[in-house]
Amino acid sequence: MYVEPSLRTNDRLALEFLKEVTQFRRVSEAEVQMGDVQDPDLISDLPQSIIEIILTRLPIRDAVRTSILSSKWRYRWTTLTHLVFDDKCVRIYSDRPVLENCMVKFITRALFLHQGPIHKFQLSTSFLQCCPDIDQWILFLSRSDIKELVLELGEGEWFRVPSCLFNCKRLTRLELFRCEFDPPPSFKGFLSLRSLSLHQVLVAPEAIESLISSCPLLESLALSYFDSLALNIRAPNLKYLCLEGELTDICLENTPLLVAMSVAMYMNDDIAEYFEQSSSCNFIKFLGGVPRLERLVGHIYFTKYLSIGDYPGTLAITYSRLKIIELYQVSFEDMKEIRVVLRLIVNSPNLKELQISGSSTTVPPVEAPDLEFWAKECPKDCTFKQLKVVTMTDISGVPHEMEFMKLLLANSPVLEKMSITPCGYVIDPRLNMLVQLVRFRRASAEAEIIFIQDETLCIS
Amino acid sequence: MASSESTTTSTTTKVLRLKSSDNEIFGVEEKAALQSETIKSLAEDGYSEDVIPLFNVEKKTLAKIVEWLNKHASGSSKEELKRWDADFVDVDKDVLYDLLLASNYLNIEVLLHQLAQKVADMIKGKKPEEIRQLFGIKNDFTPEEEAEIRRENAWAFE
Repeated sequence: MYVEPSLRTNDRLALEFLKEVTQFRRVSEAEVQMGDVQDPDLISDLPQSIIEIILTRLPIRDAVRTSILSSKWRYRWTTLTHLVFDDKCVRIYSDRPVLENCMVKFITRALFLHQGPIHKFQLSTSFLQCCPDIDQWILFLSRSDIKELVLELGEGEWFRVPSCLFNCKRLTRLELFRCEFDPPPSFKGFLSLRSLSLHQVLVAPEAIESLISSCPLLESLALSYFDSLALNIRAPNLKYLCLEGELTDICLENTPLLVAMSVAMYMNDDIAEYFEQSSSCNFIKFLGGVPRLERLVGHIYFTKYLSIGDYPGTLAITYSRLKIIELYQVSFEDMKEIRVVLRLIVNSPNLKELQISGSSTTVPPVEAPDLEFWAKECPKDCTFKQLKVVTMTDISGVPHEMEFMKLLLANSPVLEKMSITPCGYVIDPRLNMLVQLVRFRRASAEAEIIFIQDETLCIS
Repeated sequence: MASSESTTTSTTTKVLRLKSSDNEIFGVEEKAALQSETIKSLAEDGYSEDVIPLFNVEKKTLAKIVEWLNKHASGSSKEELKRWDADFVDVDKDVLYDLLLASNYLNIEVLLHQLAQKVADMIKGKKPEEIRQLFGIKNDFTPEEEAEIRRENAWAFE
């Protein structure tokens, strides 16, 4: 818009007045001259802290590209403290060596132009595997106050973590995928580390054990896809534990503050054999020292694992904070597994939600089930005072499953809902299950029983 | 399900009075208001019985902030909140800036990040010229400077 020079001063005075009257803020000189007051540039004048939050939420490629917007933006991205690189950094459709090259160039340039501390560095890419540049980046990061480090590289050749990673003294979070490492002998631990996740990591069990116990503040630990791993966990501040893989033996030796855990154990023949030979009581080894547990999730084989070994007869601790128990693939044909479930729920007076999935076969057992078991094993006065929601899935209707549901219904005075989903292939016994369920006494007048049928499976 | 526990809260819920820069007073339940760290520390400093002055927030912005605080203290389900939040941040740019500054000043981290995400979503995937136009950013580079920056950051522009 053309403005006559003589009028411009008046216009500006008028605008100053307008600014005062209406508190119309942040109209810069440039826009006044442009006559562009309708759409002033407000974003460029936001405080750097807000700009940084916005830029951190952009993919890094878009963040770097803001440098060309105006002089105010030129170096704004360069002080970001969180840098996340992924496959989207590279927009070229080409074959692998080219992509790899572009990715390396992108990250190296970004680190070269960056200024100030880098608190978080995440590299999640399928384009890179083992390459010397990664070692250099980690060396660079180890000198720049890095606190969070996540490395997830492509499948194929495993990445060997350079020893300089163990010089990142201020790390609070470390997450590694598909790599191998040996902490150097001089390594004294990550004294600030609170969260450690190792997924498909090749490392000697002793090295993991000592790594865990040399991180005194560790609160969250996730280990997944290990082969035949036997582990003693000593982590006095640990609150969250997630284990998944072929685990032969786990002992929670010193984890008194544990709040939540999730365990999935995959089985091969060797481990199964090892399980059977074990004589120490797994239940005590695993759950004997976690009085603050609030949530327990046991996937495949966990209940079986807990059932192995000679149980001393009584439990020294009460899980007074345990509110949620989820156990999957529990075999109701194995009395030892049933005992594990009973022991857990009887010793959890504040349990609110219980989820159990069955894994019983429909083949009738050779011997008649010993239903006296329930009268013998359950304390006479047992009530589940807080239990509100029970979810039973993959139920095949074997006698012990029915007895278990009968026990819960008869002794849960505040139960609100019990939902039962029969196993997909169990068709005929469903009516029988319903007939029995209808007869069971319910301690809670509010209890609703929901029988969930998967219609598609019924037809087949 | 909620009825069993709500009966125990027999004490009347405390209401904090927030005053905007243009002297409008908003009554907000304490539980909702304390989502703001700034209000929390002002309340702890003894303002809680009195009116809490918020010098940097105008009434039209404070009204929106109060709306957000109330919604996020109402116990709505996660899905409902998500839908509601998406509508909440879908506002004109000037309102968006005012909310950004206010949530920054009031130190309401969740809201600040939602708003920042909204701005980031507006920038994402756009060409520099489109971004400039959208936000009224004036390109003050000479063509030579612009070419230089493109060279410097070629790895992000190719």
